Parts: sequence; C-alpha cells; structure tokens
Amino acid sequence: MTEKRQGWLSALSDLAGAVVPLSVRELEAEIADRLYKVPTAVNEYGFDRFGLSPDEARKTLLPAALLYKHYFRVSTEGIDRVPSGRVLLIANHAGQLPFDASMISAAMILEAEPPRIARGMGEYWIPQLPFVSSRAHRMGTMVGTPENCRALLDDEECVMVFPEGVRGMNKTYDQRYKLQRFGTGFVRLALQTGTPIVPVGVVGSEEQQPGFARLDGLGKLLGAPALPLTLGFPWLGPLGILPMPVKYWIGFGEPLRFEGTGDEDDADINVLVDRVRAGIDEQLSRGRAQRQGVFTG
Amino acid sequence: MLARRLSAEGDVCGVDSAAWETRPPKVPVYRADLRKREFEDVIRTERPDAVVHLGSVRHFRGDAGNRHDINVRGTQKVLQHCSDYGVEKLVVVSSGTVYGALPDNPFFMDEDHPLSASRDYPEIRDLIEVDTLASGFLWKAPGVTTAVLRPVHILGPNTRSMMGQFLRLERPPTLMGFDPVMQVMHESDMVEAIVRTLEVGLNGVYNVTGPGEVPLLTAVRETGGRAFPVPEFLFRTALRELFPWSVVPWPEGVIDFLKYPATLSGKLFESATGFQPLFGLRETFRGLDA
Repeated sequence: MTEKRQGWLSALSDLAGAVVPLSVRELEAEIADRLYKVPTAVNEYGFDRFGLSPDEARKTLLPAALLYKHYFRVSTEGIDRVPSGRVLLIANHAGQLPFDASMISAAMILEAEPPRIARGMGEYWIPQLPFVSSRAHRMGTMVGTPENCRALLDDEECVMVFPEGVRGMNKTYDQRYKLQRFGTGFVRLALQTGTPIVPVGVVGSEEQQPGFARLDGLGKLLGAPALPLTLGFPWLGPLGILPMPVKYWIGFGEPLRFEGTGDEDDADINVLVDRVRAGIDEQLSRGRAQRQGVFTG
Repeated sequence: MLARRLSAEGDVCGVDSAAWETRPPKVPVYRADLRKREFEDVIRTERPDAVVHLGSVRHFRGDAGNRHDINVRGTQKVLQHCSDYGVEKLVVVSSGTVYGALPDNPFFMDEDHPLSASRDYPEIRDLIEVDTLASGFLWKAPGVTTAVLRPVHILGPNTRSMMGQFLRLERPPTLMGFDPVMQVMHESDMVEAIVRTLEVGLNGVYNVTGPGEVPLLTAVRETGGRAFPVPEFLFRTALRELFPWSVVPWPEGVIDFLKYPATLSGKLFESATGFQPLFGLRETFRGLDA
C-alpha cells in the first residue's frame, strides 16, 4: 500500500517537474547553490541552534525569490556595503504584510556576495500562529527580544530589525514614506555588541497595500495585532490581502559604527537613532527620485 | 546509576519511599518517607558529607495535593536536616521546565530568567516552589555548599521523564503547525554532571544542557515515533476535559511545551565545572531505551 502510494507520488512530482517552467527550476537550483555558500553551523540533523534549517529555508525562499524577480521586480543598490560578520539591517516597515522583510531576505540571498541569511526579529504573535510559527522557526525568524538579538549577533549573524514595528506596517496611506516612531533598543544592542548598523530603505512596500483606516478597537476585540482597512481588505476577501505589483527598490546605506556602552541616557541614544533614521530617509528619497512610477521603474 | 557511579568514589546509601529492585549491590537503601522522622534518623546515623536530592514526583498519576506535599515539604525537610546535621554539600536536582514555555521566551534563557511556568501550567507550581526553596537555602544556610541544577529534558532507559514518556509513545500527539526546538541530554551525562557538581563543590543555581537543539518533530522521528498532529483547539479541549478524570496523563499546560521553544543556556555550568556531554544528539535519541 505504502509502496504504491510512493509510486503515485513520485509520478505526480515528475509530472509537476515537467509542467513547472525551466526558469523556476533554475531559480530553485540557484537558491540551493547560494544557500550552500552561507556559513551556517548546523548539527547532524541540519539545524542551527535556533532551529533554522537551510533545507527548509530553501523551500520558503523559492516563492520569495519568484516574487522578488517577477512580481515586485526588485532592484537593489549598495548591497556590497553590508559588512561581513555581525551586522544589523535597520529598515522602514510598511505595507500591512511583511513582504518588505521577505524581499530584504531574498536580496541578501540572491544578490549579496557571499550570500547571507537575514534573520528577522518578529512580533510576539508569530510563534502563536500555527504553520506561521514552524515556518518562521525554520527560516531563523524569532521573537525580537534583546536576548535573542544579542545571541545572534554573538554568532556573527546578520539581523534584520524594523524599529517601527506594527506602527509602521499598519500605518495608513497618507503616512507613506513618513517614518513612524522608532524603538531605541536596537541602538543600545549595537553599542553593547559593537555591531555596525546598515540603514536600509525599501521603496514600494509603502504603496503595495494602501490602508485607509485602522480599526484598533475592533482588532483588539478579535485578538489581532492590527486590523487595517485597505484598498483590498476586507472587501475582496482573502484575495484582498494580496499586495499590488508595485516596483520595489531596496537601498543599503553606508554602515554606521557607533561608540558607547549602551547604558547612555535616552537623550543620547535618540541622537544616534535619529542618525539611523536619517540614513533610511536618504535611501528612501534616492529610491523615489529614481523611479518613474509606482508600478514601473 | 548515580549510586553506582558515586560508589566508585566513596560510600553511598539511598533513601526511597518504595523498594528499589535494581539497586547496585553494596549500596544500602533505606525505606523512608522524606517527610517523616525515619528519614531524619537516616541522616542522623549516616552523617553524610553530601546529599543529592532527586526525590521529586514529576508525574500526575496520584493525588495532586499529595504530590505537592511530597515535593515541597519533602524538600523542605531535606534542606532542614542538611543544615541541622552538618552536611557539607547538597545538590538539588530541579528542572529546566520551571522557566515555562511562553511565547515571549527568548532562546537560551539564563539562570536569572523568571520562573514563569506556573502562569499557564499551575500543576507544576510545586516544582517551582521546590526550586525556590532550594535557591533560598543558598543564603539561609551559607555553611552548606548547595547547588540547584536545572537540567533540560533527560532521556535514557532508566529515566521516566515527561519528555521521555512522550517520545516513547508510538504516535505521540503533536500540535499541528508547531515544531519548536527542544533540548535533551542523556541520563549518563546528567549523572556525570552531578558528580562534577560534587567534585567542584558548586554553590549556586545552574542550568545543565546537553548536546544541542533539535525541533520536536525531529526528536519524535529519531526515537522511532510517528507524530500525530492535532489542531490546538481540539488538543486543548481534550486535555482540559479529560485530565481531571485521569484519562490522559497530562494537564493542558504541557501543550505550551509542544508549542513554544523553552531552551536554556548551560554556559555558566560548563565554565564552572568543565562539563561536556559525552552523548551526542543521535546517541541520546538512540539511547532512549537502550
């Protein structure tokens, strides 16, 4: 019985292999090849100590890479400025769903030399959602506590942080390209661990899913972290959560290296946070000046 | 096992409330309840240099109040006799589960992390009380060199840990859509860790970790099981409704250990004792029942 089913399945996967366009299979091979170049300390079962599995990550990266190349048609600039060893990528956050995080991850795999796995620092609800939780784990995404971030930086990893958090992701359309209030924890961590900060500007995500209003009260009632009304959601049902095919541009700024202990007063820390914000703003205006339109460029 | 290993170093005796069939020869075992006078007599007459307290009830089969009493009052008596009768060294084996499995747990919690297990898992609050009593004993009785060990899940043929029992199931129920990393160590390594603790004369609270981290489903597969994924809602309802009737062996709180990672940092213990686990992940899983 089992044998028969296996035969069945393999026939099906052969068929799928024949139907899937060559370019997709090539892309899959490219991802595998590049992931192989990422120095990841995995144990005998193929997991690193945070539960990341390069094998599993490959499967998740394929759809991200397809979006990257064909849907959002991402251009990147300055990715060679990301230094080797421990580094914090600090970016703007927008677009209701974190496609910006996926696109930065895809860029770090597909465009960076050598390729790197950008570890995401996520919200508390990520580990509470079935399937999202297990997928995030295998991708190396984890709850953004200072302890986790410090452990990753101690391992010389590349960590991606969105200091605006949900404030940025679920802001309304009139706030596009206006950076929301930043958390300050990332600067303290950078000071404590001697980590360079690369400001990253993402153009496109801010228009991918224009939000009109936030129903925070109702959202709280339903237990959701945010409940936005957007161009597509909830009017188009599940389809409405899909982003529009905007043109993405991702700019990496010069790394900022700050000196300090991390125990400074908030006022001193905020000065440094503002320098990172300015770095992101600079990238955002460069990207917006270069593009021809929201969907083309 | 521990007795066999320790008897290579000096004289050992055991105390248990039940008869101990598989005890090593030449190791006398007293039958005594930790909470009663008979146990105090053992300490008074034997006058041990060192006491290793392993006597906590971890399963939920009996009466919950009785379990609480054995664990908490039993521990309190052990501590009291140790300070009354001039015991030099005390090792209390607590558990790594006292930190709890919470969604906002960081990876690799250190010894200062709050013990929050009882927030959603009130059935093991006695284990937290035991840990707290023993940690408090550190400053109450500075004359006794006390080490509180919080090991990760211990696996091995002689150990009936919660995780061991779970992994022994042919079709262990798992939580659909969740696969958190977990940490295990082999029972032989834990024995060695206790021996090292005594040798070094550790004083303090220490996590003890094994060879590394793997996702739960990998552990299930490697110990010969086939995971039986259950949607969270069903799983919770089943345990909540059935546990009070003793139909299922676990209360609802264990679900969080199948849902969120609860990993410890054993760095402090390793640097204090030079302890390194001999059993790798593969040997630990293969060695569950052999």
